[in-house]
Amino acid sequence: MLLELSEEHKEHLAFLPQVDSAGKLNVSSDTVQHGVEGLTYLLTESSKLMISELDFQDSVFVLGFSEELNKLLLQLYLDNRKEIRTILSELAPSLPSYHNLEWRLDVQLASRSLRQQIKPAVTIKLHLNQNGDHNTKVLQTDPATLLHLVQQLEQALEEMKTNHCRRVVRNIK
Amino acid sequence: MELSESVQKGFQMLADPRSFDSNAFTLLLRAAFQSLLDAQADEAVLDHPDLKHIDPVVLKHCHAAAATYILEAGKHRADKSTLSTYLEDCKFDRERIELFCTEYQNNKNSLEILLGSIGRSLPHITDVSWRLEYQIKTNQLHRMYRPAYLVTLSVQNTDSPSYPEISFSCSMEQLQDLVGKLKDASKSLERATQL
Repeated sequence: MLLELSEEHKEHLAFLPQVDSAGKLNVSSDTVQHGVEGLTYLLTESSKLMISELDFQDSVFVLGFSEELNKLLLQLYLDNRKEIRTILSELAPSLPSYHNLEWRLDVQLASRSLRQQIKPAVTIKLHLNQNGDHNTKVLQTDPATLLHLVQQLEQALEEMKTNHCRRVVRNIK
Repeated sequence: MELSESVQKGFQMLADPRSFDSNAFTLLLRAAFQSLLDAQADEAVLDHPDLKHIDPVVLKHCHAAAATYILEAGKHRADKSTLSTYLEDCKFDRERIELFCTEYQNNKNSLEILLGSIGRSLPHITDVSWRLEYQIKTNQLHRMYRPAYLVTLSVQNTDSPSYPEISFSCSMEQLQDLVGKLKDASKSLERATQL
């Protein structure tokens, strides 16, 4: 799948071959900014679409750069693709995500309204992340519910191994 | 157990066969347990025809005394001898003491469950539901192809009558981590109960 670069993009990127390897730039700040934006667009779109090496090379070819520059751009793409995709995935609408779980066993021995109790409970601290914010929730449950939770969630994990899910994973590419 | 004079006075009246005959005594006793333990208890629990001849003020006093004592006894897990001692001090005859103890024994479990359920606690997890999805793309990222879980914990709060839910997403690895930790907790619980 080829990356489509508009005329504007191509113009912005046309600045790149002029960059002197010594680092001193003799062009306006606008041109530099456009150049950076163009490069950013090139890399993020390529990463988003996960285009193949060949497709990337072909897309960049239309810019008429030197062989050396094309190679450099390809390397840049391949080296940074994974990280760019990780960052892009964080932009999606998201719910709080699981971070960690701490637990503690407690036994309630008495309360204001009833003495001489033996009431086991499991106290849980659930760590969640949302948009970079770290959130914790302290919850409690009884032994029976704990077993129920484990059973239900183990079933959830087992689902991925079923034929149905395997078929879906195999066929949606 | 600390009991007020009012409770003692109420019991002394209950002990008196001139104020409460056998039948009335039994009815009042049952009414006291009923108003504490029966969630649908009628407000008119003392409206029984066989109690009509007793002064309503006396009736209410004795009912309140009995209910107060029952709660205190339940709270402290009073045994039969404790009950007998107190009732003897209130001049109950043998028959009435036996009756009280029998009624108390019959209702002990419900009473303890009721008392045990009163109090503040952390939000309590009651259930879990999950959803498995296969993420294909977002508008920011195409060709994702990865499974993800959405887990929702149903929670009950003692403070508010609301039933909030806690939802979060996780990857397969994260869910394995979560389940692993919960299994550790339940194994620990099992070991602790065998001590």
